[in-house]
Amino acid sequence: MTAPSSGRTVRGAARPGARVPAYWAPDGAVALWNDLAAGRSAVESPPASPFPEDVRSAWAVPRFDPRERAVAPRQPVEGYGVFTFPYGPVSMGVPEAGRFDVRTYGERVLELVPRVGYKSRRILASLVGLTPADAGLRVERLAGNFAAAHVSAFLAAAESAAGRAVPSRDAWVRAVAQEVQRIYNHVHVLARLAEAASQNVGLAQAHALAEEMLRVAGATFGHRWMFGALLPGGPVARLGPSDRDRLARTLDRLSEEFESLWEVFQGSRTFVDRIQTTGPVGRDEAEHWGAVGPTLRATGAAWDDRLRVPVVPYDDLFLPVAVESAGDALARLLVRVQEVRSSFLLLEQMLQRWPRAEEAPVDPAPPVGPHRGIGRVESPSGDLVYDVALRDGRVAAVGLRTASDANWPVFAVGMRSQVFTDFHFAWESFGLLFAETDR
Amino acid sequence: MSTWLGRAWARGILTTRYPAAPAADDEAPETGRPPMPTRPLDELAEAPGSCPTGAIGPAAVDQGKCIRCARCRAAGFALTGPVEASGRRRSELVWPGGRPGATVPEAGLAPLGRSVHVFLVDVGSCNACNLEVLALANPYYDATRLGIFFTNSPRHADVLLVVGVPTEEMVEPVWRAYEAMPAPKAVVAVGACPTSGGVFAGNAGLRPGLDAVLPVDRYVPGCPPPPVAILDAILALIGRGRPRAGEA
Repeated sequence: MTAPSSGRTVRGAARPGARVPAYWAPDGAVALWNDLAAGRSAVESPPASPFPEDVRSAWAVPRFDPRERAVAPRQPVEGYGVFTFPYGPVSMGVPEAGRFDVRTYGERVLELVPRVGYKSRRILASLVGLTPADAGLRVERLAGNFAAAHVSAFLAAAESAAGRAVPSRDAWVRAVAQEVQRIYNHVHVLARLAEAASQNVGLAQAHALAEEMLRVAGATFGHRWMFGALLPGGPVARLGPSDRDRLARTLDRLSEEFESLWEVFQGSRTFVDRIQTTGPVGRDEAEHWGAVGPTLRATGAAWDDRLRVPVVPYDDLFLPVAVESAGDALARLLVRVQEVRSSFLLLEQMLQRWPRAEEAPVDPAPPVGPHRGIGRVESPSGDLVYDVALRDGRVAAVGLRTASDANWPVFAVGMRSQVFTDFHFAWESFGLLFAETDR
Repeated sequence: MSTWLGRAWARGILTTRYPAAPAADDEAPETGRPPMPTRPLDELAEAPGSCPTGAIGPAAVDQGKCIRCARCRAAGFALTGPVEASGRRRSELVWPGGRPGATVPEAGLAPLGRSVHVFLVDVGSCNACNLEVLALANPYYDATRLGIFFTNSPRHADVLLVVGVPTEEMVEPVWRAYEAMPAPKAVVAVGACPTSGGVFAGNAGLRPGLDAVLPVDRYVPGCPPPPVAILDAILALIGRGRPRAGEA
């Protein structure tokens, strides 16, 4: 990564001159990490301005307007026969509300501009004034298939703002939820890539494995997407001794199932050929645009929040970091495959070494007055940061940087000079969600 | 050495027996079912206060507003209702006394009797409903065995499945998708968001529900509804659903 610097202008920022959190930028993330490593928490250095109005204007995440601004490098492409092909916001290929403007002369993508904002639900503003537990219900519905990561990061930030350590059992339950959801999302990416490559048998089998992960979540957390399960008052996670044994056996079977599935995928030349060299992103480009998660690790950088932000229980578990160097869709898939393996390994370790003390989940109700904290987790698509300000136990402001925010420009770079039929392979391999950016 | 065929053979048939048999527990976990009062509703004084979306009233429970957060369990509710909770009118989702009201058996929308092509439109969802709808294509649910096919264009669709709370930006796109569909056509609101706004009801710039944008033919409660509930809603729309609570 490049050297830390502060006050850097951020791509796609809403207003000229708007102050944004330093960790929005990739090298800001380094600065934040250095702060955390040195034991300096955000609570000790609150912003100079009083809550909540100033915080809301200065720390709010930039709003994107789909009609005016692109989340991509602006580089007007002109030439004979070049036109803009709009794709979305209603299409089955990308089953989310979002649009891509493709500059092309017919086949080759000269420039691709993702247009976000179609499904902006104004969630962050609606959190102000709620208790963390009530705000959590909205946070997990910000991006449903990353709910475990979002709510874990949000609660970690709220607990940090409240000056309270994360209850030990909660930390373990959140980690189990995150790893189960990571496996689901990575297998889902494999299924979507198989679908794009017309590998219909592989699609069915990968799709079935993804469904089994949802059923594991449903049986363990009472909800297929874990909504409410990590919050006080929700469905209680069934992780008693006999439940853990049963879960461990199920995961063992699914792990073997995944290995056998991947073995056949690996042997399919049409599949591997199709995604190799598709959507390539170089290491320098990934770092320049601030890529995170599997997108970054597929270019050779070993950056994983589960190691970089050592929290319970990850600080005590063995976690091999998945790194590839080619930077194409195949490399990103290989990183995901290794991460599925490491997640199964982490789950096995967690279920074996479960802490004895069982505490009930508590509502993170903080002391009186304004306080602020940061929560940071590795979501399935990469680094996810929540910055939560509390005032008298209620949310005063929320700042957020999701993995999708960071990776939009990287996707646009990866699609340059590809042909349009490469679109779905590249798109699925990045694991981007419109829901994460349109909040 | 595994092969595609060898793997498929070894796994056997995964597909659910639904709708011939009722939904199993692993198909509809706890939060896949509507909350029901364990005692008469007027004895549960604390229940309305426990609900973050105001779905529980003093005399009735509005399943269309329920986000299945399970907080009402502490106030005497249990998530044990029928998976087949979708309704043709919004008022059918308001259960007096917390129990599903009597319904008359429905005929399917006339010419959509056998096989339908469905098209998914997201108007502002969190992606969970999208993925639950797409899960209907996986071998566990296999909607094609029931004559339900996904299509890639609204021009080939009979049924529009709409997920998410309608944002101002998506009103025109979803209307244009609806206009592009050939008649006869039907719209299904999948999940709490298009039904009532769900947990985001009242946020700035959001429509209160899909019926403020399009004529809706069927509402499916749940956050998100499990795939069997979506399957049931499509089947009920064409008159092939499982018998419903209160039906003769």
